Amino acid sequence: MSEKKGLYGTWLVVLGIAILLGLYAAIRLFAQGHYLFNTNDVIIWSLPLGVYIFLALTSSGLTLLAGIPLVLKVKKYEPFAKRLVFLAFATLLGGFVAIGLELGSVEHMFWILFSPNFSSPIWWMGFIYSVELVVLIVKFWKMHTGDWHSGFSNALSVISFLLALIAPLMIGSVFGITESRVTYFGPMMSVYSLVLGLLSGAALFMFYSMIFHRVTGDGAVESQTPLYNEFATIFGYVAGVAVILTLVKFAIESATVVPEFLVYHQFAHAFGAWQGFHVEVLLGLFLPFVLLLVPSVRKSVGGKIVTSALILVGTLMMHMEILLAGQSHPVGPKAEQYPAFISYFPSIWEWLVFVFALAIMLLLYTLGERYLKLAEVPE
Amino acid sequence: MPRYAMVIDLQRCVGCGACSIACRNENNVPDGIYWSNKITETQGTFPNVRYHYIPTLCNHCGNAPCVRGCPTKAMHKLDNGITMHDPDKCIGCKYCEFNCPYGVIYFNWRKPHTFWRDDKALIKGGTNSPKEEAQKVGAKVVPYYNPERDDTLPGIRPKGVVEKCTFCDHRVNKGLLPYCVEACPADARIFGDISDPKSEVSILLGKFRPFRLREQIGTEPHIFYIRDFNPAHYQPTKGGV
Repeated sequence: MSEKKGLYGTWLVVLGIAILLGLYAAIRLFAQGHYLFNTNDVIIWSLPLGVYIFLALTSSGLTLLAGIPLVLKVKKYEPFAKRLVFLAFATLLGGFVAIGLELGSVEHMFWILFSPNFSSPIWWMGFIYSVELVVLIVKFWKMHTGDWHSGFSNALSVISFLLALIAPLMIGSVFGITESRVTYFGPMMSVYSLVLGLLSGAALFMFYSMIFHRVTGDGAVESQTPLYNEFATIFGYVAGVAVILTLVKFAIESATVVPEFLVYHQFAHAFGAWQGFHVEVLLGLFLPFVLLLVPSVRKSVGGKIVTSALILVGTLMMHMEILLAGQSHPVGPKAEQYPAFISYFPSIWEWLVFVFALAIMLLLYTLGERYLKLAEVPE
Repeated sequence: MPRYAMVIDLQRCVGCGACSIACRNENNVPDGIYWSNKITETQGTFPNVRYHYIPTLCNHCGNAPCVRGCPTKAMHKLDNGITMHDPDKCIGCKYCEFNCPYGVIYFNWRKPHTFWRDDKALIKGGTNSPKEEAQKVGAKVVPYYNPERDDTLPGIRPKGVVEKCTFCDHRVNKGLLPYCVEACPADARIFGDISDPKSEVSILLGKFRPFRLREQIGTEPHIFYIRDFNPAHYQPTKGGV
């Protein structure tokens, strides 16, 4: 028992240090400016935005999964529902930390409310995720106070489910509708974002549950092994859809002769490649998908941890790769001041934003798990 | 209400860069940011090569992706067609910069004009520091500060927001030409109301076949290029096999 207490205390200290470092980074960014990032007027969006996309989409995925018991009323998944809603909220908050530190003038944010531009996908994305955050908090509170299935509580479930469906489409359209950057694939980006969100959401829930089980030795998780095995099958199906979409994306890329795509290919191998396939896709999507096809891997705790961890890292890398590849070459006269092709590696300040967002999210997970009875089911 | 546009006559343009220098002075543009810029291209294989020069600035598009994408309407259209930016509403998301097909929007990554904020003299007691220099001429931050820019936009834009060409709207409001047009020694830039068939821009667009940058993506750019500078000769030939 004392060993567990020691571990818990150490964990909180680690998170505390990470949050202090993140706060220091935030102060430096607001005081000195975003030149502290390894960005410029060609690579405009970098790791903090990639982390935001990853966490926001993951949150949407978690909310959609929570919809299985809460909206589709598949009762056997009710033991997962409260934890899924809480993780969705905490993950989204981590995403907001990342985007908040990415914005140059966060103090002007109130204009989003007072001067909305309804033709802007960024406005819709911000609006939908803000509403989603509030709905998730209220829904969680209703569940926590025992109101799972009242009319109001059901309405909250449906609203959060619909918002979680639309929000990834909006993130995709932020990229997909840019006239200047054909490498973002137009409407396909929206569908791709939705699928990757669902995939990383499923991976996060699986990874979190298994680690929680390992660290705490929680009996509830063990008693629900068949349910987790079934969930691993759903996870495998989602990975399969992501594999198909990724193959379609590769087919389009390799068949095109559009000049921007040819430049994109140079950047596509930034993380290494094998037979034309990016390493992050091979190790972060294809490999775990193949592993999930093996029943013994799917059913073992170790298999669940490895596959979900690979997919979590893989989807983050895939988001980063897509984000950077579309910005790898200067547009128009910017080629006068910058090389024809630009590479990127995050600065220490960008890593600290990443750490800050993760630490806030993990702190919420930890406190939620300790005080909010996340395994609760309706009476 | 007029609809302003610019014609750039590439036969007259000598590539001297006076437009860009004038723009920097008029708009207090910081280092690393280019409201007025250029695209240079070298074509051919040595020894048969030619150099092409295309001056660039904000295209003040009729269907501007930067305006459509801005979440707070900080980037907006004026009635006269000018694409204008309000730094007070800008949240620094940089979507306009990301979305602009012409690469003419820049972000203030740091406090602008850092050089002129430096209070270290090169020779202590012998020379002014850049900051003293600016203070002694009574200017704001930079010695060549143009206070007239403040009429419609903060004279120096703060860090954390984007900035770009405004067609010198503060001058146009007073019936003056954009300063790049004024400063061009070759009269290669012609500015005016494209909705008036008698304006100089309309006359030129009727006389010469213009082209616009990335016209095919439907942004309706309002910078038109006419003619080309090419003094090369060649003997009449039908080629050969």
